[in-house]
Amino acid sequence: MKVLMLTWEYPPFIVGGLGMACYGLFKALAEKGLKIYMILPTKEQVFFEISSGWEADFPVAKSQQKKQLKPLPLKFYQVGYLAPEGAYLDNLRLFSYQPENTTDFLEKKKLLTTISEEVLKRIENLLNKGNHSLSRVQRYLQNVLEVAKHLEFDLIHAHDWMTYPAGLFLKHLIQKPLVAHVHATEFDRAIGYGHPVVHEIEYLGLNLADQVIAVSKYTAQVIKDHYKVPEEKIQVLYNAFTVLTNEPKKVKKFKSPVILFLGRLTPQKGPKIFLEIAKKILRQYPKKVRFLIAGAGEMERELMFEAASEGFGTQVLFTGFLTRQEVEEALSLADIVVMPSVSEPFGIVALEAMYFGCALIISKQSGASEILKNAYKVDFWDVDKIINIIVDLLNHPEKLKNLQQKAKEEVKKITWDIRAEELIKIYKELFAN
Amino acid sequence: MLYIVFYFQVHQPFRVKNFNVLKTKSTVEYFDNSLNAAIFNKVAEKCYLPANALFKELIERSDGRFKVSYSLTGTFIEQAKRFRPEVLHSFLDLVKTGGVELLNETYYHSLSSIFDLDEFIEEIEEHAEIIKKEFGMLPTTFRNTELIYFDKISDLLFATMPQIKTILIEGADKILKGESPLYPRVSANHAHLLLLKHYKLSDDIAFRFSDRSWDGYPLTPQRYLSWIKDLRLIEKTGKNLYLNLFMDYETFGEHQWAETGIFEFTKGLVLLALKEKDLQFLWPSEVKDTLNYTPAPISVPNPTSWADTERDLSAWLSNPLQWNAIKTCYELIKKAKEQKRYDLLSILKKLSTSDHFYYMCIKYFQDGDVHKYFSPYSSPEEIYRYYMNILAEIETNLEG
Repeated sequence: MKVLMLTWEYPPFIVGGLGMACYGLFKALAEKGLKIYMILPTKEQVFFEISSGWEADFPVAKSQQKKQLKPLPLKFYQVGYLAPEGAYLDNLRLFSYQPENTTDFLEKKKLLTTISEEVLKRIENLLNKGNHSLSRVQRYLQNVLEVAKHLEFDLIHAHDWMTYPAGLFLKHLIQKPLVAHVHATEFDRAIGYGHPVVHEIEYLGLNLADQVIAVSKYTAQVIKDHYKVPEEKIQVLYNAFTVLTNEPKKVKKFKSPVILFLGRLTPQKGPKIFLEIAKKILRQYPKKVRFLIAGAGEMERELMFEAASEGFGTQVLFTGFLTRQEVEEALSLADIVVMPSVSEPFGIVALEAMYFGCALIISKQSGASEILKNAYKVDFWDVDKIINIIVDLLNHPEKLKNLQQKAKEEVKKITWDIRAEELIKIYKELFAN
Repeated sequence: MLYIVFYFQVHQPFRVKNFNVLKTKSTVEYFDNSLNAAIFNKVAEKCYLPANALFKELIERSDGRFKVSYSLTGTFIEQAKRFRPEVLHSFLDLVKTGGVELLNETYYHSLSSIFDLDEFIEEIEEHAEIIKKEFGMLPTTFRNTELIYFDKISDLLFATMPQIKTILIEGADKILKGESPLYPRVSANHAHLLLLKHYKLSDDIAFRFSDRSWDGYPLTPQRYLSWIKDLRLIEKTGKNLYLNLFMDYETFGEHQWAETGIFEFTKGLVLLALKEKDLQFLWPSEVKDTLNYTPAPISVPNPTSWADTERDLSAWLSNPLQWNAIKTCYELIKKAKEQKRYDLLSILKKLSTSDHFYYMCIKYFQDGDVHKYFSPYSSPEEIYRYYMNILAEIETNLEG
C-alpha cells in the first residue's frame, strides 16, 4: 500500500506533538512494508519518500522528477497562524488544472464522498481572504497538487487543518480516499472558539473526508459535538511515543524534589495553573521543592513576572525552548510531572514522562488519560487536589517510588508498532467499503 | 574662575551565556567569553585606544594644564588583561603623563550599596587595591555605580574609608530643586564634598552630539564653549564655579562614532578652552582646595543616579524579574561567604554587576530603546532565564 501523507511538521521541524506523532507513525508504517510519500510545507516543490525505518529517521527531499536534491537548505514556512488581518495573496487558479494520466485512477471507488465545485470555491475564497498563515496554507496546497501529480499512491492521509485544503483538492482531482487525522482542533488551541476560517476548514475537511481519525475519545467527542461529523465515520487511534534513549535514568541534580511542567507556554497547556500550584506549595514549604517550567511560548513574560514577584528565588525556574535531548534531560531529573492541560487531544509528553519514571498528574481533559492506569487523573481546575497529591507523594517517598516504577512498566507496552497495525486495519476497512 | 572637571566611566561587565540547568556538563563556564572578548575588542578599537591617544596628546600639549579623571572598574581591568593587554598599557601610559586622577568605586560596578553594605565596603577596598596595584595610586574620590547616591553612603564611607574626601553625584533636579549644579555641596553629615554632574552640558556631548533633530546640531567647539562661558553669568559675587562633565568613556568613538566628528570636537574644545584666561581644568580631588566659599549642605534621603530620565534606581529595579534576580544573588553571596566558598564567591560577585539587571529592564519609550541598544540579549526574559539558571546551579553547589 502506498500512502500520501500531508503534514505540516516533521522532525526536526517541529513545534508540538504533531511532528513527533507523524514521525513515530510513519516510521512504524514503513517498517510494516508500507510506502509513504510525505509532503511538508517547504518552499521548494519536493516530497519525501519513506519506505524503511532508516528513511524515516533521515528523510531525503526529492523533486518531482524523483531526482535526489540536496537535503538542505530547504526553506520551511513557519508553523502557526495569526489572527485575521484582512490580507489576501495571489489568486489561486489551480482547480482549472487537470493532471496527466489520471484516467485509470478514476475507474475505482465511487462510494467515496464527492466534493463539489462549490466547496472548492469556498475554500479558495477562505484562503484568499486570509492572513499570512492562511496564504501559506494556500501555497502548500499549490505545492501538493504540483508534486502529487507525478506520484502514485492509494490514499491521501492529511494531518490537521493546515493540510485539509490540499487533501480536499487532491481528492477531488484524482478521486482517491481521504483520511483526515485530528491531532488537535481549533477548540483545543484557542480554548473555545478560535479563528472562524480555521473552524470552517476543519468542518469541511472532516465532513468531506472518507475517514476521520481522532487521537482520543476526548477528541472524537469534540469532532462529533462541534463539527457534526457522524460517529460511524470516526475512529480513535491513540498516540504512542518515541525517545532517543533506550535506558531512561534518574539524575539527581538538585537536593530538593523537582516538579516539572513541560510544554508550550500557551493557555491550552495550563502553565498558569501549574504556577498557581507552585505558589501555594512554596508558600507552605519554602525552599523545599523546585518547580521547573520548561518550554517557550507567548505566556512566558506573564508567568515569569508572576513567579518572580513572589520572590521565590530559583525555586521556580524557566528553561526556555528545549531541544529533544534537553526534553529527555528534563524528564530524567523530574520526580513528578504535572500536565494541567485545559484541553489536550492527547499529550504525548505524558507517555514520555512515565517512560522516564516520573510520577504523572494529568488533567482529565487530556486524551492520554484515557489509556493510562498508573497516573493521577484530575480536573485541570482542581488545584487543591493536585497540591494534595503532590504533598502526599513528597511525604511518602515509598509511594512515590512505587508509582514511578509502575508508570515506567506500564508505558513500555504502548508502541508505534501497535498503532501502525491499528492504522493499517483502518485503511483496509476503508477500502473494503 | 570657572573650573571644568572631566570624569569618564570605563566599565565592562562579564555578560552571561546561554545556560540552563539541564546542561549537565560539570565544568561549565557561565560567562560568554567569546561575546565579552568581541565586545571588548570592538570598544578597544573604536574608543579606548583612539580616545586614550587623544587625551594623552592633549595633556602633553598643554603641559599638564589639561586634566581628566577616570574610573576603571575591576571587571574592566580584568577583561583588559585577559582580552587586550594593550588597552591596559595604554591607560598606564596615560596615567604616567601625570594628568590623570583615578577614582574609587565598587570593583564589580554593582548595586551592593542598596543590598549589602558589608559587601559594598569590601568591593570598594578590593577596587582601591587593584588601582594601587596596577597604577600605584590611592584614590581619594569616590563614585558609586551609575552615580547612585544617598546620605547613608556618605555616613558609611566616613566611618570606614577615611581617605575618601570627595564624592561624585548626579545633579538631579529633584535634589537641586532649582539650584545650580555648578556649586559643590557638602554631604548632610558634612563629611564629604559632593560634586554634581551638570547633566545638560554632559548629555549634550554624551547623548545629543550626533542627533540631527537636536537644535544644537551640529555642535562646534566654539558654540559649546560659548555655552560654558554663559554659565558664569549666574555668579555675581566672585565664587568659583565648577562645571562637572561626567560621562561614559564610550561616548568617544563608540556611542558617538568617530565619523560624527566627536574626536575633532573634543580636541578643538580643549584647545580653545586652554586659551581662555578664566577657565581651568581640574581634578575632582582638587576642588576642595580651590573653593573660595563654604559649600552648602545637601540632603539626599532617597537614592539618585545618572540613569534614564527618572535618575533613580528604576533602570535596575523596576520589575519583579530584576528584584528576584538581585535579591537571590545577594542571598547567595552571603551564603558563599559563610561557607568560605571563594570559588563560587568570585563568580557571584561578577553576577552582581549592575548591567545584568539593566538588561532585564522593561521600560517603554526612549529609555527602553537605550536599554535595548546596550543589551546583547533579545529580550529581558532571555537574560533572566540564563541568569536564574546559573544561580540555581550555584545554589545547588552551595548546598553541598
